[in-house]
Amino acid sequence: MRPEQQGVEVAVLVSVGRHPITGRARRADQDARGLELALGLERQLSGSRVSLLHAGPRGEESEAALRGYLGMGLESLTLLEQAEGSDAIPALAEHLAAAPPQLVITGARAERGEGSGLLPYALAERLGWPLVNGLAAVEKVENGVATVLQALPRGQRRRLKVRLPAILSVDGAAPAARQSAFGPARRAELEATSVAAEPDQELAQWQLAPARKRPKRLKIVKAASARERFKAAAAKAEGGSGQVLTDVTPEQGAEAILKLLEEEGVLR
Amino acid sequence: MLETLLPILIFAALGLAVIGAWRRVRLWRQGRPSAVPLLKGLAAMPRRYLVDLHHVVGRDKVMSNTHVATAGGFVAAAVLMILVHGFGLAQGILGWLLLAASATMFVGSLFVAKRRRNPPARLSRGPWMRLPKSLMAFSLGVFLITLPTVGVLPEDFGSWILALVLAAVVVWGLGEMVFGMTWGGPMKHAFAGALHLAFHRRAERFGGGRSTGLKALNLDDPDAKLGVETPSDFTWNQLLGFDACVQCGRCEAVCPAFAAGQPLNPKKLIQDMVVGLAGGSDAAYAGSPYPGKPVGEHHGSPQGPIVAREGKALVDAETLWSCTTCRACVEECPMMIEHVDAIVDMRRHLTLEHGNTPNKGAEVLDNLIATDNPGGFDPGSRLHWAADLNLPLMADVKQAEVLLWLGDGAFDMRNQRTLRSLVKVLRAAEVEFAVLGTEERDSGDVARRLGDEATFQSLAKRNIATLARYRFQRIVTCDPHSFHVLGNEYGELGGQYEVRHHSTFIAELYDAGRLAFAPWKGGSVTYHDPCYLGRYNGEYEAPRNVLKALGIEVKEMERSGFRSRCCGGGGGAPITDIPGERRIPDMRMNDVRETGAELVAVGCPQCTAMLEGVVDASAEVRDIAELVADALVARPAAGATHRPQAEEVI
Repeated sequence: MRPEQQGVEVAVLVSVGRHPITGRARRADQDARGLELALGLERQLSGSRVSLLHAGPRGEESEAALRGYLGMGLESLTLLEQAEGSDAIPALAEHLAAAPPQLVITGARAERGEGSGLLPYALAERLGWPLVNGLAAVEKVENGVATVLQALPRGQRRRLKVRLPAILSVDGAAPAARQSAFGPARRAELEATSVAAEPDQELAQWQLAPARKRPKRLKIVKAASARERFKAAAAKAEGGSGQVLTDVTPEQGAEAILKLLEEEGVLR
Repeated sequence: MLETLLPILIFAALGLAVIGAWRRVRLWRQGRPSAVPLLKGLAAMPRRYLVDLHHVVGRDKVMSNTHVATAGGFVAAAVLMILVHGFGLAQGILGWLLLAASATMFVGSLFVAKRRRNPPARLSRGPWMRLPKSLMAFSLGVFLITLPTVGVLPEDFGSWILALVLAAVVVWGLGEMVFGMTWGGPMKHAFAGALHLAFHRRAERFGGGRSTGLKALNLDDPDAKLGVETPSDFTWNQLLGFDACVQCGRCEAVCPAFAAGQPLNPKKLIQDMVVGLAGGSDAAYAGSPYPGKPVGEHHGSPQGPIVAREGKALVDAETLWSCTTCRACVEECPMMIEHVDAIVDMRRHLTLEHGNTPNKGAEVLDNLIATDNPGGFDPGSRLHWAADLNLPLMADVKQAEVLLWLGDGAFDMRNQRTLRSLVKVLRAAEVEFAVLGTEERDSGDVARRLGDEATFQSLAKRNIATLARYRFQRIVTCDPHSFHVLGNEYGELGGQYEVRHHSTFIAELYDAGRLAFAPWKGGSVTYHDPCYLGRYNGEYEAPRNVLKALGIEVKEMERSGFRSRCCGGGGGAPITDIPGERRIPDMRMNDVRETGAELVAVGCPQCTAMLEGVVDASAEVRDIAELVADALVARPAAGATHRPQAEEVI
């Protein structure tokens, strides 16, 4: 007898994202993909329920961003209201442990704040649940075991079975999020509950500075034909002859740099 | 016998017509309320009908005369018939007048019959094919029964069989012309049309005015419906307008999407709305269908959805997304029905409630929200194209005679050439101008036409707040879409500006003697009217005057001026990209080819992009600003020296 597929309780953890160019608050891309996956699951397994969970401070900007998720067709979002700079992990863990869903879906990495990508792991450790990262699809849920596809580099997929409850994290391999509609987003409710704020001690000690762009190796193309130019453009930048200088005086360092620039033809 | 029968017949038909009218009015009143002055509208109706409507009908002289004879004859005959045969006032001149009126109507109906012998594809068939016969039955029947009344024939002429036949003909005529007028026959157009003209939602259009800006949604009221989901979400006078359609198909003949084989036919869309307001299926529709969509598979009801989330309802979403909002159908409609308003109303629901803008729509809207431009470019790079031009910024100068609105073309390398040319022209004419630079945002045109009223209003309000900080006399822009939105749609949100298209402004500068041109040496030139400059804003002359000043004699395309064919770039159509059998810009470049012109002058970044995207085109595409800049008689620029070829760095 084939075991009956039954509906699952899915909690999607969502964060306030940050647009890469303008820095405006928005629904985070990976979290929105996670919600899209959950909504697909809801369609696939009748009787499933998707809930949204966010821990953080409430503000006009963050509320607009969170409503971006609600515009994908949900009626409410649970907001664990915390002061700025609080640690989200204990609050989330406590909330999830109180009424455990079968699946927790989250983006792999936040777009603002630390963005360390550690939250799913820390949460899994606290709750003692298994974690699958790089989720591409949930194929079926049977008898408390989910069969999922994990995305590997270069389009490969790995089929895994995971015991529920479990935490699944998604990245760019998950299906793209649907459009967020203004009407449902405006109507939906933010159910805010205050939780004990545990200040993030470690974060408070950190110094935050805007990230600098990593230097990119220049590619100097001396191509005569279009074909060669195309090949050069498509090729990966390769180093090869780099060297690491340690414990040198500023003069020696400067000389080495000057020498390199002359070799590369930047200086003549 | 007829003397006793006729009053009964006439008053029975009138009574039934009144009941039908009451039922029809109830159908329209399912719509949402809309404040229009009722009595004033009714008082203005005859003039609107005789002047404004016939101005449009008069573009086809034969049909116009036919309509004057038939409709004029009918109205006169109907009134006189009630007096003569209903109340028995046969003495004196009334009977003779009735004879004249019915004879005129009969002559008109002969022309209607001639038209229906080999009707063009745009005309609907079905019940419309019997209309000339019904017109003849009415006019001939009334004519014959009046002959004895005026004494041309003896009272007891013919036998009772003849009287019975005559009575049957009159019953047929009365049935179609009086009973059918309110119960849904072809003559419904007269009843609904007259009231539609009286209660039109854009009363400014009558008397030579222009009203083209979309109407804003009320977003402050959380209970207000976002757009139109069901037919009853239209305002009652919109429903009335749909019901007024005569199915003449002039809209179908000019619709670029229909011609391209995309699944849109404005006439069918309006008929579908009529099906929706009365409830039922579209199986009875007897005109050209939406290309690729058979008739009879869609059905709707006043409270049912127009577009289903899944499956089929009244209309498919891709029909609504095929529209380029070029307004050719509205311009051509003799009933002055507002197709574009209805389409955008329905799109608003699809975007704001369903969250279902097709293809690149969602991405473009997200970009507009996050970066204030549809391409998702860094807003800080809006002025990069002008790095060497040293443009005066409003933030520095605070006031200027002219505010140059760049539009999103500032991010497009092709349009940057136009903008640079325009700057050169303004400098040559020594115009005191400034730009907003990075403070400028998208005008909201695309967002609004994709149905995202929320993003439109957000962009508009922020632009209005920015503009309020500076003093300027007028805005000049090379983008007719910005021109239209700033000039016609910001007013409702609190921004009143005097806006000029660059062609208008250049024409003014030339007339003021501030520009001088070298004689034109190029080949033959045609001009493509952008929809948002021409039909939306009525500017047909200025671009042609500029071209004339350049010494260019424009070889007009067959479809130019108010009949110009759209380039396919409006209304977000390139973004939603609904497949068809042909491409709209290809058809337009074929129009250009037919003139034999080597160059097509345009005045819109969208048109430039669409027409330049045509493969194997016979003509070059140049913006008017570029032509003017090239012809300027001024000091030659020194920067054009030959530069050594640099090594390419990626």
